Amino acid sequence: MKPGQVYMDNCVSSKPAPEVLQAMQSYWEEEFWYPSSFVSTGEKIAGDIEGFRATIASALKVKANEVQFTSGGTMANNIAIKGILTANAHKGTHVICSVVDYPDILTNAAFFEQSGFEVSYIGADSEGFVNLEELKQAIRPDTILFMTTIVNHVLGTIQPMEEIGKIIAAADHKIFLHADAGQAFGKIKLELEKWGIDTMSISAHKIHGPQGIGALYVKSGTKLGQLIHGVKRIDGLQTGGLNIALIAGFAKAVEIYFADFDANVAKLRELSDYLLASIEANITEVEINGPRGNWRAPHNVNVSIGYIEGEAITMMLDMQGITVATGSACASQGLQPNYILMAVGKNHVQSHGSMKFTLSIYNSKDEIDYVVKHLSDITIELRKRSPLYLATHR
Amino acid sequence: MQYSQKVLDHFMHPKNVGKMENPDATATEGSPACGDQVTVYLKVDPEKMVIDDISFLSYGCASNIATASMITELAKGKSLDEAKKISWRDAMEALDGLPPVKVHCSVLAADTLQTAISNYEIAHGLKEVPNFSKETIVEELKKIIYPKVGEDIVTLKMVKYVGFTHGEVLIDLNIPSFDQWRDNVAEEIREHLQKYPEVKDIQINFPE
Repeated sequence: MKPGQVYMDNCVSSKPAPEVLQAMQSYWEEEFWYPSSFVSTGEKIAGDIEGFRATIASALKVKANEVQFTSGGTMANNIAIKGILTANAHKGTHVICSVVDYPDILTNAAFFEQSGFEVSYIGADSEGFVNLEELKQAIRPDTILFMTTIVNHVLGTIQPMEEIGKIIAAADHKIFLHADAGQAFGKIKLELEKWGIDTMSISAHKIHGPQGIGALYVKSGTKLGQLIHGVKRIDGLQTGGLNIALIAGFAKAVEIYFADFDANVAKLRELSDYLLASIEANITEVEINGPRGNWRAPHNVNVSIGYIEGEAITMMLDMQGITVATGSACASQGLQPNYILMAVGKNHVQSHGSMKFTLSIYNSKDEIDYVVKHLSDITIELRKRSPLYLATHR
Repeated sequence: MQYSQKVLDHFMHPKNVGKMENPDATATEGSPACGDQVTVYLKVDPEKMVIDDISFLSYGCASNIATASMITELAKGKSLDEAKKISWRDAMEALDGLPPVKVHCSVLAADTLQTAISNYEIAHGLKEVPNFSKETIVEELKKIIYPKVGEDIVTLKMVKYVGFTHGEVLIDLNIPSFDQWRDNVAEEIREHLQKYPEVKDIQINFPE
């Protein structure tokens, strides 16, 4: 088995579609130009970029001039959050987010806390849904921004965006709503206007586009403070050069994925339902993390396997060519249990034994059968070695 | 960060794994909260004072399982006095090294072996239950690994002061506030010292 032969860590990065690689080729080779006016080379690229922008805007059901390219989701999040806060700090310095948000949001929140802003972190229930009552209570006259992660990157929980939007809109003053849609784009229907979203980040490589390119939706009329100063090449917010080939690949990924959006989502849902059912049928003492059913993103399965440790499971699966993720402290960069799992009330054993499978349309039921067979064997083997298991099972 | 082939071999096919029936001594160290827990079982020849048989159980990562396996291999057939000298460094060396961030996982297995030997000696009247003192604290601090370089904090001279009066432990550490591992180190020190009933309070100070 080659490394990553069976790849189920698609929430981090997904395999580029063959059509995407093809669409990028000419921009690496002959058409390496940057957009400009009057000269044919620059005009050609400028026209292409507007076409790519229109493709992405169409998938989001927004106007083309509301989409700006960035060098990824994290850059888009930074441009939006820092842009909103610096442009509106004279109106207030209070920000709200939740304890289960993506690190892009939480690290920005921590940065602004150190810079004199006040942040309210609202809690979440055991399935990862943010507490809407806490959100209502947290709103103050000086609140200027609510940030949220539409689909939780660990649990797959889909936040109730319509209700969140209503709560934010019901405030007696303008509160900006920024959303990270890294795990939501291509997985659920996004209704930006209905939800009242002002800014939203997306990323290409989560939907079989290339790494290193993303986009920021900025609702018409929304003023953002300038985060990156420099020459304007493509767009005004992330000034400087962006890779045109990557933009072309991004647009192609969106074009082919969204042409079959409903079928792709249905396939992801079928695969993840099959995976979860297979795990529950073949492995004892397993519990799901996050919600079941339609409030869970269609590509995410996260389970805690009792009495054994996730890094060991991940390593053994890796030996079989299977790539998955775990919330174990031992597999984390900071040697800490997963903060999302701990925030929703899981204990250390549940976090250390958590396994996250994120599927793509390229996965198959045969692959799932292969993974579950090995996962089942590994569980039996590691439980034979586990003092926690043997203390409670004869 | 890569594991050596020896680590992978001992992880995938550990030696001496499993619960032992009627052991002469046993010890369990670590906890699920710490992320790993190891149990070591010993059978000791009472005349020769040699470890006749040894086995382990591990709730832990690949590094933890591999080190526990290696520790049992190193200790098997050794006299108690020889086995008392086996440290996590010996296991790590025998495994062709570990990634620095994984060294702390290797300490637990060596620690559990030493506790099991100590438990045997106490149960057989070969030694007294040791008194808790400042030296006990220092010995525990020698088991705390700074994850960035994979070396213990005493060797790295990160411990500036250790005090113990009336159940209160006072430790001054020379780790600056911007160090990403500072909280991990403090947390691990607390986990190591809280198991002693003599310790009522632990205060850990850092430079401003």
